[in-house]
Amino acid sequence: MEPIQNIVLRSLTISGTATLLAALWSLPLAYLLASSRRFRPLVYFFEALVGIPTVLVGLLLYLLLSRNGPLGFLELLYTPQAIIIGEALLITPLITAVSYQVMLTGLSYYRELALTLGASDRQAALLVFRETLPSLISSVVMGFSRAVGELGVALIVGGNIKGYTRTMTTSIALATAMGEYEAAVKLGLVLTAIAVGVSLVVRLVRREWASE
Amino acid sequence: MERSTLLASAIIVLVVIILASYTFLLNNNNTIAVKATTTTSLYATGLLDYLGEKFQEKHPGVSIQFVAVGSGEALRRAASGDACFVLVHAPSLEIQYINQGVLEYHKIFAYNYFIIVGPSNDPAGVRQAANLTDVMKRIYRAGEEGKALFISRGDNSGTNVKELQLWKMAGLDPKGKQWYIEIGQGMGETLVMASEKNAYTLSDIGTYLKFKKDGRIPNLEILYSNDTALINIYSAYLVKTCSGDEREAAKEFIDFITSDEGQMLIANYGVDKYGQPLFYPASDKLSLLESTWSELAGQG
Repeated sequence: MEPIQNIVLRSLTISGTATLLAALWSLPLAYLLASSRRFRPLVYFFEALVGIPTVLVGLLLYLLLSRNGPLGFLELLYTPQAIIIGEALLITPLITAVSYQVMLTGLSYYRELALTLGASDRQAALLVFRETLPSLISSVVMGFSRAVGELGVALIVGGNIKGYTRTMTTSIALATAMGEYEAAVKLGLVLTAIAVGVSLVVRLVRREWASE
Repeated sequence: MERSTLLASAIIVLVVIILASYTFLLNNNNTIAVKATTTTSLYATGLLDYLGEKFQEKHPGVSIQFVAVGSGEALRRAASGDACFVLVHAPSLEIQYINQGVLEYHKIFAYNYFIIVGPSNDPAGVRQAANLTDVMKRIYRAGEEGKALFISRGDNSGTNVKELQLWKMAGLDPKGKQWYIEIGQGMGETLVMASEKNAYTLSDIGTYLKFKKDGRIPNLEILYSNDTALINIYSAYLVKTCSGDEREAAKEFIDFITSDEGQMLIANYGVDKYGQPLFYPASDKLSLLESTWSELAGQG
């Protein structure tokens, strides 16, 4: 078995990058959805996709990235990048749907206020974003938790290659398949500790933010 | 702290962490990475990582990346061009892919045995069976009488393919029966489930020995073994679509595991830990294995 810290670091990097990527397009998308009624049906679409099976995302992405698939020329299959793309897609509906609710409340509350005080549309948008930031970060952290804890995408498009695409969840699956339950539980505890740790840090940052 | 400082410092910390870990993540850049899809039994016993390490000691510029799935899936993925070589144990499937022109450079590199395992009180009386057909008939009969369960991999793996051949050979069809449980999981999970439920199953000896030694399957015993009809042959192939440096390295790896040195490594693997080898080198009796392989391939 590979040293546990390598696996943990790799998992964090992959899921962290996936989360940042997903946030990059999910947050603007959520703002768009919240500020215009025209796109409202899309909201239901994203809400419905929050629980999409990770294995399905993995399989669809595998078919795309396979050498004979439409995106095969990119040679991304069985690389960390493939997992990053898959996890980013996986958590997009979650981050979008949750941020949408946050922004909807923010908009109705702050936007009117800002506009009556003579702010421009752009200034109003910035204000909404600023005031809802703690809740938005929470939605992004939820996305991270789903990404770091998922198995289907990492296993199928990553391939669980030792020293390259092996993440915490795929190592747990492997250790279980090998009957090495002690190692599996150890990794599981680390994974849980990270999830708890991240949410604690976010809570602290939020409190700091609110106290300003 | 100012809000903006807080935000800025959080972003800086994130960026630094990600940049730092990227250099670590993508450390495979200056080596030739060769992808292989393999059967789970070879990987879960640890043999492949061991052979991979030994190979890398001699070829530091090459890293062999194993993707462990069942034999059926390993071949399927190879056919999609997603692996440079395959290590599998399902002759009747392998022949299909050879005929489709997907695989070449066939080398048998190891073998061991399949075994019928089950609860020690053996309600089906497999221990008294006269031959393999009789074994399957006894399990079938006990199943029908509600005295026994059989767990099937149900995942188109090499072991699953073998098991289906055994039923067919005995002229029986257990599919859909209450006592015939298809679980679609790896060998280890299947053994653990058989042990928990006091059921029968077909296993490769390597995985069985590892799990038995580790104390994971206390209720299971080997009830039937047969060193001709239940031989389990592991083959390596190059995938035709693979080319360039990757192909050269893949060929070197296959040559390595079939060389005298590689065969010695296979023969000695696990002996210190399990008291007997998990796999036998093919060089011992290559011609016998080759003729058995052809026979098994024809049984599809």
